Amino acid sequence: MKRSPPASILPREAGAAPLDVVIGVMALLAALALGASLIADRAAQSWRAGLAGRMTVQVLPPEHGAAEPSLTDETNSALAILRATPGIIRAAPLSDAQAAKLVEPWLGSGAVVAALPLPRLIDVTLLPGTQVDIAALSAKLARAAPDSVLDDHSRWIARLGALADAVELCAYGILTLIAIATASTVAFATRAGLEAHHDIVALLHQMGARSGTIARAFERHYLISALAAAATGAGFAAALFIAAGGLEFAGVEPVPFLPPLVLKPWELAWLLAVPLGAGAIAWATARISVLAALRRIY
Amino acid sequence: MLRFENVGLRYGSGPEVLRDVSFTLEPASFTFLTGASGAGKTTLLRLMILANPPTRGLITLFGHDLATSPRSAFPAIRRRIGVVFQDFRLLDHLSAFDNVALPLRLAGHKASAYAHDVEELLGWVGLGDRLDARPATLSGGEQQRVAIARAVVGRPDLLVADEPTGNVDAEIGQRLIRLFGELNRLGTTVLIATHDRSLIERGRAREMRLVDGRLVEMRTPKS
Repeated sequence: MKRSPPASILPREAGAAPLDVVIGVMALLAALALGASLIADRAAQSWRAGLAGRMTVQVLPPEHGAAEPSLTDETNSALAILRATPGIIRAAPLSDAQAAKLVEPWLGSGAVVAALPLPRLIDVTLLPGTQVDIAALSAKLARAAPDSVLDDHSRWIARLGALADAVELCAYGILTLIAIATASTVAFATRAGLEAHHDIVALLHQMGARSGTIARAFERHYLISALAAAATGAGFAAALFIAAGGLEFAGVEPVPFLPPLVLKPWELAWLLAVPLGAGAIAWATARISVLAALRRIY
Repeated sequence: MLRFENVGLRYGSGPEVLRDVSFTLEPASFTFLTGASGAGKTTLLRLMILANPPTRGLITLFGHDLATSPRSAFPAIRRRIGVVFQDFRLLDHLSAFDNVALPLRLAGHKASAYAHDVEELLGWVGLGDRLDARPATLSGGEQQRVAIARAVVGRPDLLVADEPTGNVDAEIGQRLIRLFGELNRLGTTVLIATHDRSLIERGRAREMRLVDGRLVEMRTPKS
């Protein structure tokens, strides 16, 4: 009669279920933290890229009763200088409607607002990688359009950059803490499982099994357990990120300035690191613990 | 084969549980170890199977002085010993077949190479129809026979058994002793710790008696 392959030397006992649950939950948290740090990293890069290579020129309305040139003339002069400056690929004034839209969140959209003397804004786009002499450009603009102010966003970019760095640092800090907690939990749970199997270790040792043979049986057992449990946790986290992407399609409005809680496919692939890491920790812990236990046995 | 010279053992700072034990087991000999409960039989067996080191004295097994042999040599020495534990120590999640096959599996043999031998041996101990049974579904006597089959399946050079007939009826007990005798005729050195006087009388083998941790008598049967 053909026999089925021999069963594993270690049992899949009832006590393994809590171990799998603990590893699965920690893997879920680690995967969420990893995903969040990837989103924070992407958001920080997007904030920087959004402002880098852009400048704004404000042409303030002349004071009441002031002499010409008018606001339109100053705007046209500024545009001429900007368009003639090497490195600037686009300089376009915002229409009155666009300017009114910008102040609408603060001042509303009534007729009073329409009557307000709003500055003209010129949106300037630089050729990527180009450095423009801001001081020289400012001086030129001041001569041609005395009421203009050049803003290269350097202060805003610096503050946003600091904020982005802080967000990234926090995300990686949390990820590191959860990774340490996950590693400790996997190691602790693996050791607890080994304690429960101490009699089997002693029996195999007594039967003349080499330390390496016994260690391999345990390594394989805990590697597979941890891989399966952590893959379940990380898979659940991936499902949550994918579901978050579905919210947009379901008509849920994104929060302004915050990035969508969605991972791109290549970012989702990073979550594979969680079960692989958990498996490696369980493997190493099982090996170290079994060999240490065997050294204590005669 | 096996030699003890002035061997003593104490656990921690407690009193000596074995004192000045000296004896030799010749190759292919058959010996009963007797003594009252607490006399030190199980402790002596544990020294023989390399489960504990002695606190004093010398043990020589298969030509190896255990005090000076490297630890890396112990697995190979242990694989030459078959042990029947008093509490059987079967793996509950394995079938009777897999429990018996375990020593062969640990020695690196392929399942296809040992399957026939294991089935035949289980048939010999009366468990040919319980190959796939888990230990929990077997009676105490059946578990004991699985433990014995596991101890002898690798044809060990030394077979050590602690009360191997304690849980089986007289007929099965006789059958097991015949199995041990058969192995002994094939060259295995057999040592059986037992309380069963009838077994000793019928066995016509050498008897070692322990009293309070001392070996007080070595009796060889008259031929």
